[in-house]
Amino acid sequence: MYDAVLAGCRWLENTPWGVAVRGSSWMYPLALWVHFVGLSVWLATSLALDLRLMGVGSRRLNAVELSTGLFAWNWIGFAVAFVGGFLLLSAEATTYAANTGFRLKLIVLIPAALIWHVIVQKMVQKKTPAWTATAQTSAIGKWAGLIEFLLWILVVSASVSFLLTNALTHA
Amino acid sequence: MWEVLQHAGWVTTLGTSRGLFGLVSVVHYSAVFFCVGTIVLRDIRILGVACRNQTLSSVAEQLRPWFWIGFGSAAISGFLLFTVEAGDYAAATPFRIKMLVIGLAAVSALAIDWRVPTWDRASTMPVTARLVALISIVLWLGTILMSVEIPALTGLG
Repeated sequence: MYDAVLAGCRWLENTPWGVAVRGSSWMYPLALWVHFVGLSVWLATSLALDLRLMGVGSRRLNAVELSTGLFAWNWIGFAVAFVGGFLLLSAEATTYAANTGFRLKLIVLIPAALIWHVIVQKMVQKKTPAWTATAQTSAIGKWAGLIEFLLWILVVSASVSFLLTNALTHA
Repeated sequence: MWEVLQHAGWVTTLGTSRGLFGLVSVVHYSAVFFCVGTIVLRDIRILGVACRNQTLSSVAEQLRPWFWIGFGSAAISGFLLFTVEAGDYAAATPFRIKMLVIGLAAVSALAIDWRVPTWDRASTMPVTARLVALISIVLWLGTILMSVEIPALTGLG
């Protein structure tokens, strides 16, 4: 199984975009920028909803208004982050694949956080009363928001641990 | 001055402790994403391409505390990360440009906040508002661009 993954990683590293990002002094920071810009939009839209579900912060908009109003940008952010992340992965796939922090992020944390995110989004947008109870917040909504919030912070933590253990310089 | 800071006892502790440095890094990354994302969403609302069913004021007020909490946390954690290599950072041109762009972006955030109630009362969003929102987006995405260019251009970080 791991051999197949490794073969896939080697293939990624040898794709034209993998070679380009790895070999160019400006393409690596550019891919990182794209990844970070997408993440900013994705995390801000997701975490603002989580915090609203938890009843923390301003209550000018309720969870339903916030979720539907930001829905398109939520997924635009995800798509941009995905493209940037895919380019970064392609440049050094075998290094990434060998790193525990990165494995944890890609195999466990991101799938868990994404599934949770989609469930929360669906429940909120279907206006499930127990979750959104408009002006007030509900116990289940609070827990749902808190769990998603923590999952994304864990994703960031795993990524930072990867960055710190594999201090790759692209100068 | 920066060299003295860099060699302070607590800075050495931060620089040599993997856990502590990692923790501050996680706070910095998370806070930056959160602050840039929330302010860009407000600007996108001014451009009229998000949350169109909600008034600008309500969107701005919903996101404003998160922006400033994010900005404050990013500034504090960023300063801590800066101290570890303070002398080198302070002397690096890309780092100075980053600080300048952040300053301009923060001024634009305040200026827009100040005008939001006026723009909200207008029947259509004024052209000035859209232009300023666009400039704000460019500046905030510029802060991230400078952040990723610092290690690429100077080897720092």
